[in-house]
Amino acid sequence: MNKRAAEFVSSYQGMIALLALLVVLWFAPSALSAAGLSTLVLALFYAIGGVSFNFLYGSLGIFSLAQPVFIAVGGYTSIFLFNRFGVSPWLSLLIAPVIAAILALPVALVATRIGGGAVLTALVTLIIAEAVTPILIAITPLGGAIGLYAKSPPVITFGDMQFASGLTYVRILAVINVLFIAFWMWWKRSRFGLFTAAIKDSPEAAEAAGIANGRLRLSVFLIAAMLAAPAGVIFAQYNLLTSPDIFLGGTALFQIITIALVGGAARPWGSLVGALLIVYVAQEVSNLSGSNPAAEPVTFAGVFVIMVLIVPRGLSGTWARVVAQRRPDRGGALSAIGDGTARSGSAQAHSGTVSAAGGTVSAGSETSVASEQTDAQVVPGQTRPT
Amino acid sequence: MYFGQLLVLGLLDGAVLSLVATGFTLVLGVGKIANFAHGAFVAVGMYLGYEAYVAWHISPYLTLLPALVFFALIGWAVAEVFEQRGRKVGEVGELLVGLALLLLINGLLELFFTDNPKTLSGVNIGGVGVFGITIQLTQIVAGIFAFALAGGLHVFIHTSRWGRALRATAEDPTVAGLYGVRVPVAQRAAVTLSIIVAGLAGVMIAPFTVLTPDIGTTFLISAFAVVVLGGIGNTQGAVLAGLFVGVVDSLAAGYLSSYWTTLTPLIIILGYLLIRPGRVTA
Repeated sequence: MNKRAAEFVSSYQGMIALLALLVVLWFAPSALSAAGLSTLVLALFYAIGGVSFNFLYGSLGIFSLAQPVFIAVGGYTSIFLFNRFGVSPWLSLLIAPVIAAILALPVALVATRIGGGAVLTALVTLIIAEAVTPILIAITPLGGAIGLYAKSPPVITFGDMQFASGLTYVRILAVINVLFIAFWMWWKRSRFGLFTAAIKDSPEAAEAAGIANGRLRLSVFLIAAMLAAPAGVIFAQYNLLTSPDIFLGGTALFQIITIALVGGAARPWGSLVGALLIVYVAQEVSNLSGSNPAAEPVTFAGVFVIMVLIVPRGLSGTWARVVAQRRPDRGGALSAIGDGTARSGSAQAHSGTVSAAGGTVSAGSETSVASEQTDAQVVPGQTRPT
Repeated sequence: MYFGQLLVLGLLDGAVLSLVATGFTLVLGVGKIANFAHGAFVAVGMYLGYEAYVAWHISPYLTLLPALVFFALIGWAVAEVFEQRGRKVGEVGELLVGLALLLLINGLLELFFTDNPKTLSGVNIGGVGVFGITIQLTQIVAGIFAFALAGGLHVFIHTSRWGRALRATAEDPTVAGLYGVRVPVAQRAAVTLSIIVAGLAGVMIAPFTVLTPDIGTTFLISAFAVVVLGGIGNTQGAVLAGLFVGVVDSLAAGYLSSYWTTLTPLIIILGYLLIRPGRVTA
């Protein structure tokens, strides 16, 4: 019985940790001050954007700087529909991802087919993101450069999602964060997760194995856009405002990428950790500097620089490396080896070939041969327990 | 008449863009690095010119020489970081270094000069009447300087021994190394040259441009569009495409609306992708 309980815990440890996290995020913030709550809202908002970026980058290595655009889509959908047609923002939580996916389709077609690696994708998506602001300003019903303020109904009901306290927004954002992390954890273990891991390692081998390469890349891009949109809905309701500046202005564009990369794309919880860390540090620095408006961008940049120099794969990437390094010593080589090798029945024999660096397997399995630069991000988390 | 005005202004802007893009294409071709912070160095140059004039009343033209030394040192250091990170983390490492530099420069400029747009009104050396409008002489000087420097860079790369070494490295680093080219030096030189060129362009345009900390991103995007249009690693293409994009920008802003200038790079790149899909590779 005891053994079964231990097994249950170890196979569902991710889900248990997530539930614990949700409970903490649900109850603990009621002790926070108003300022603390607004910091937490910001952190949880960025964390969702970060999940959107990391899901795309971690699954396929597509480095998209256009994710803030899809967050903005959420904000505009929610406030526009509410002001015009009285649609509840709760409903917009479901409508916005659909609109985001539709708008993401042309972006995805460009970004996934450009070739030439992460740098060119990053440049092209940056251009797309920068072009959205003038387009938004040109569309008059969307309020131009000022944006749209949410109308205040005479009697505010729950359906209007206009709460006086930041606490409710923290709770909504916490639920979305946990749901998305859980989704990504499920995705990694599903066959789609294995397909994307195979594509990331070697597109040619994946194609030869019968994986619909192009279609899957496109789908992942659209899903990532859908993950971004709800963050915009909630953040726009929190501010009762949606504007190009909130979501796409100057530094705002890069903050989500900073958080996502500092957290690392190797684990679904990466961006949440990155967001809580950076937003907290930025808040402290801002307080110390007497609310100098430059404190925030400088802090974000500083943390990013430190991260590039010390942990280029982000916090969760380094974590994944450490775990992968320790695993063979504990005799758990099985879980460090890709699914394909494990199924061949000679997994134990291969454990000697698992390099200490991060579980790169030199056996002949196509799906588990990770390239030097992606190893830590791919191997351990994306294996099915055998 | 109106067309003529827009054409001249576009050519002058385009010359500066040519210069910035020449540096960008050089580093893409030789260093195989897409330096995300390339445009940010233009912004650094602009604020350098601004600060030198406001604090010490030194004309931006006299700032050029110290700026050259400054950007050479910074450029070599940046190249070193690119090289080191690139070796350890691969292509994404270089992308991260570029992004980190971009954010750092934006943040520091905002810290020292605040977010408010600044203009350098003191430097006025007169104007010339062209097609019924007065064009600032500073703008003409900057345009000619940029065009000459971009052309000089092109000639340097295509005639000198050093230039040949750079082109050989761009073609095939391994083989170039076998023929005695010091490849690491050539790659660092390319990064350094590109940053010098970006910084000097910034100093030159400081007198007639509205300075904001994040203006670098605009230059990065325009330069990238120019490079795609002119062919990666092709300096001659970069100069011609730069002039072309400058004129298109100017005409779009004049006849349509000013926000079209932000859209032209996007339209150029999308158009290019439609015509030659998948060919935008370094």
